[in-house]
Amino acid sequence: MDLPTVPTRVLCAAGMILMILLAAASLFTGQYPLTLEGLLQGDEMQRQVFLTLRISRTLVGMIGGFSLGAAGFVYQTIFRNPLASPDIIGVSSGASAGAAAGILFLSGSAAVTASSFAGALLAVILALALSSLDRSGRSSTIVLAGIAVHSLAQTALMSLKLTADPERELASIEYWIMGSLNGISIYSIGANMILCLICLVILFLLHRQTILLSAEEGEARMLGVRVGRLRLIILLTATLCVSCIVSLSGLISFVGLLAPHGARLLTKRNSCSTLLLSGLLGGILLTGADILARSAADSELPVSIFTSLLGAPFLIFLIIRGRQKL
Amino acid sequence: MSFFSVSQLSAGYDREHVIEDISFELEGGCLTGILGANGSGKTTLLKAVCGILPHKGNCTLDQVLLEGLPPKKLAALCGYIPQRSGISIDISALEVVLMGYNPELKLLERPNREMRQAAAQALSLAGLQGMEDVNYLHLSEGQKQLCILARTLTASRQLLLLDEPESALDFRFRYRMFEILRGWMNDRRLILTALHDPMLALNYCDRLLILSNGGIQCVLSPASDPPEKMEQELEAIYGRISLHTCHRQDGARQLVMLKEPEGR
Repeated sequence: MDLPTVPTRVLCAAGMILMILLAAASLFTGQYPLTLEGLLQGDEMQRQVFLTLRISRTLVGMIGGFSLGAAGFVYQTIFRNPLASPDIIGVSSGASAGAAAGILFLSGSAAVTASSFAGALLAVILALALSSLDRSGRSSTIVLAGIAVHSLAQTALMSLKLTADPERELASIEYWIMGSLNGISIYSIGANMILCLICLVILFLLHRQTILLSAEEGEARMLGVRVGRLRLIILLTATLCVSCIVSLSGLISFVGLLAPHGARLLTKRNSCSTLLLSGLLGGILLTGADILARSAADSELPVSIFTSLLGAPFLIFLIIRGRQKL
Repeated sequence: MSFFSVSQLSAGYDREHVIEDISFELEGGCLTGILGANGSGKTTLLKAVCGILPHKGNCTLDQVLLEGLPPKKLAALCGYIPQRSGISIDISALEVVLMGYNPELKLLERPNREMRQAAAQALSLAGLQGMEDVNYLHLSEGQKQLCILARTLTASRQLLLLDEPESALDFRFRYRMFEILRGWMNDRRLILTALHDPMLALNYCDRLLILSNGGIQCVLSPASDPPEKMEQELEAIYGRISLHTCHRQDGARQLVMLKEPEGR
């Protein structure tokens, strides 16, 4: 969109095609075997599985990965830190603590989702409220506040784990934290997906402002930016977007860190198409990892194993590449 | 004719004032340099005028109180070049220049075609022709400064606040930058710039504010003040120096400053 160069467009188109192919593969991967023939002939069981489980799982994989990638891009740009991710202001640990509370005190997966969403939101609001106590408005204050909230949420999580029944509840808390797209049904994703998509649209619309925020605070102010307010809006939107996903899926590591770096390496820019590509890479990574999680072993594996397995070597590659530059 | 006044400005860091009770007035069309030793408060003064630093006192431009303006209005009126721009992400030089149009754009609006063309022109005026698509981070420090200069000159601002804009530039581009600034001036516009290079200050500025110990030691007018007086005032910053009048090949009078050995 900015700088309409052919290669970037080609990259985005290729990314989109790859994501669609993976999505198609994802629709037909899983414990219950589905075939196109069976679906077309109207096999009732196959249709049920396809409509209630596979579609939702694939959607969460695509949109979830996309959101994590796009939000990661926004975080890294605003904090001017290549290691920034939504975790930096305590979203993930808030969501985990919320989910643990949900597993202990509520019943049903929808309640756990809601409770974890509330936990994530609470963590973010707390972090941003703490950071607003410092009037100077430095972005490093937000990071510090985030670290404080992160450890608070970890403490809450630990206390909840201590009170949990080790046989059932502790196991489900641990399993939730490991992250998986398993068992997400079409009936439980509606509100999250809609909110998530709205947030994504806002992030794309505010891309130019996000780039302005990447300048120094004083510099951005003298370019006419209300730094504090704008940063708050963009961070809140990006975080809301991530909360929607994390509360459904549990923690998913590395996607938010990896996808933006990949997109920047490929485009060598931070234009709007880089944001798009970052989202696409996130979607590809999560959908691909989810396919592996379902097919690598007899039983379902946590998806983070595969996102990390793909992510860690990439991060090391980036570090080595950075060293060579010096 | 416009009018810029600063009255009783005090500012600093962590409750310790670096500048104390500074007041001065400048008329439109005045390119004003700020000279002072390291730590004398040049940057603090500029940041306080920008409103980036909390401060006491106030600044008015054409009877408009700068402190009362929302960021967008302020940015439409005043441009600022920091010592070093904080841009640290991969972004093209043209996009950096386009940032300068932000005060004229609505929140979700994008720069239009004319803005892009004007931005490309501003880049070539600054000596970076053909470098629109070059990654800003790959530019040399001097080229980065020129790119930021181009960004500041985009929209029609009235007051420029420049913090040692020449420090990273080589000899030729220092003069080029000040020729550009001179060309930008008209009798409604004002420039307030901290400077390191005394020769540029003496030959391009209409007024010189000499800062020392957080206050204004004196105000010089290099074109009319007697060299002996300026020598005396400048020695407070540079130690023993001497000023000499030379003439360029085109006959223009130039002041040259020489460092004399520090005797007793």
